[in-house]
Amino acid sequence: MNPLEILIEYWPRLLDGTLMTLKLTILGALIAGLVSPSLALIRVHAAPMAQAPLRLYVSFMRGTPILAQLFLIFYGSGQFRPTLEEWGLWTFFRDPFNCALLAFALNSTAYQTEILRGGIMGVPQGEIEAAKAIGMSRPKILRRVVFPHAYRIAWPALGNEVILLMKASALASVVTVFDVMGRTRQIFSRTFDFSVYLWAALVYLCITAAFVLLWRQAERRLSRHIHAPGMPRASAQPFKESQA
Amino acid sequence: MTKPETILKAEDIHKSFGRLEVLKGISLEARNHDVISILGSSGSGKSTFLRCLNFLEIPTSGKVTVHGEEILVKNGKPQNVRHIEDIRSRLGMLFQQFNLWTHRTALENVMEGPVQVKREPKADARDRAEALLKRVGLEDRMHMYPSQLSGGQQQRVAIARALAMEPDAILFDEPTSALDPELVGEVLKVMQSLAAEGRTMIVVTHEMGFAREVSSEVVFLHEGRIAEQGPPDEMFTHPKTEVFERFISKVK
Repeated sequence: MNPLEILIEYWPRLLDGTLMTLKLTILGALIAGLVSPSLALIRVHAAPMAQAPLRLYVSFMRGTPILAQLFLIFYGSGQFRPTLEEWGLWTFFRDPFNCALLAFALNSTAYQTEILRGGIMGVPQGEIEAAKAIGMSRPKILRRVVFPHAYRIAWPALGNEVILLMKASALASVVTVFDVMGRTRQIFSRTFDFSVYLWAALVYLCITAAFVLLWRQAERRLSRHIHAPGMPRASAQPFKESQA
Repeated sequence: MTKPETILKAEDIHKSFGRLEVLKGISLEARNHDVISILGSSGSGKSTFLRCLNFLEIPTSGKVTVHGEEILVKNGKPQNVRHIEDIRSRLGMLFQQFNLWTHRTALENVMEGPVQVKREPKADARDRAEALLKRVGLEDRMHMYPSQLSGGQQQRVAIARALAMEPDAILFDEPTSALDPELVGEVLKVMQSLAAEGRTMIVVTHEMGFAREVSSEVVFLHEGRIAEQGPPDEMFTHPKTEVFERFISKVK
């Protein structure tokens, strides 16, 4: 078979795998994205002793291979099956998709926490003071001043993290999740045609390209106040006399 | 004639950073319509004192009363923390570096306090913000971001932002020190107009002209204490202390 015939024959499976890859990546990144802001705040503000467990978690997640983390959850949960059954958690861990999602979410949470911590530390202190001076409550200052800046600063790095996570999600195929890689291996074992791996690579490439495009759109929106287009810089304009 | 009511009262404010005692017991009372200029060489504690008034800096000890609401501080702990946000919302504050929220337009900066802190309806807040920006001469800059405005324009937006909260008094922390010389005038002019309409203002400044001509009272800080205090004319023509005399001869 030539490469095109492979595609024509097997595209539904590849598409199915693509959806699975997207589902894993998006859900994993989203869960991490929901948890990481509070963890990042702890990293910035909490006393060193209070955040020791968090630092340990982050070091572990960043310092060990994601494949090892996946195996730890997938095979490790099997070891504790009786206990997990007792707690009613076995139905969750029995499904390889859940194990993969948990591994990716845990891993990405660690990275996103550190990225966001950097963003929070980059927020201009004076703008926080201005918000305090006007009588804003702490939660409001976070929502109206700190996080808008922190996300703008962290945005490119967060995008990178999502792309890395998307590629790492191919590891899920090792624990029998049928993502792009899983489907590809399945097709290869039937056809022994190497070209299917090229199609898989192309799928990953397309996902990344589309993602980068979207992310850049969002970045432009987030930082529109820095290089607002089409408007002249103030310094280029003569000062208009105040009427006050 | 009735005595003008007291807007803000600071009693025996002490502040230490570690072992360094920056403020050694400063008391100050601002009555309605007062314009108080705080002078002093760098390191005299004038900015720190101003920042203690709205608790951007927590005093080590002392008492601050704004419109009857008082906060007593002992051992660096304010006794009624809940009132801090309330007191802050009653005091406007201007900064040396303007500190506009750079991700919001001029108009959004001015609307932020009324909408987010006072929970005013957006439409009302917008109308008033537009009027205030017009008042500081920026009606054609309303939709620009701070990065598109000059320093003087940014400080005028900051003034509008403070006014939008309808504060009982406004604190100015060297509002013209970061400005290019040619932009100082536009900000001083707005400040002058605020004084003329009877706003209560406490101004930390190096602008001797402003202190002398606009303020109703001058306070001179030296090494964390009030060294001299009085009406500007008297103080500038007949300084009572040697330190103040030296100070005015240096800045002239």
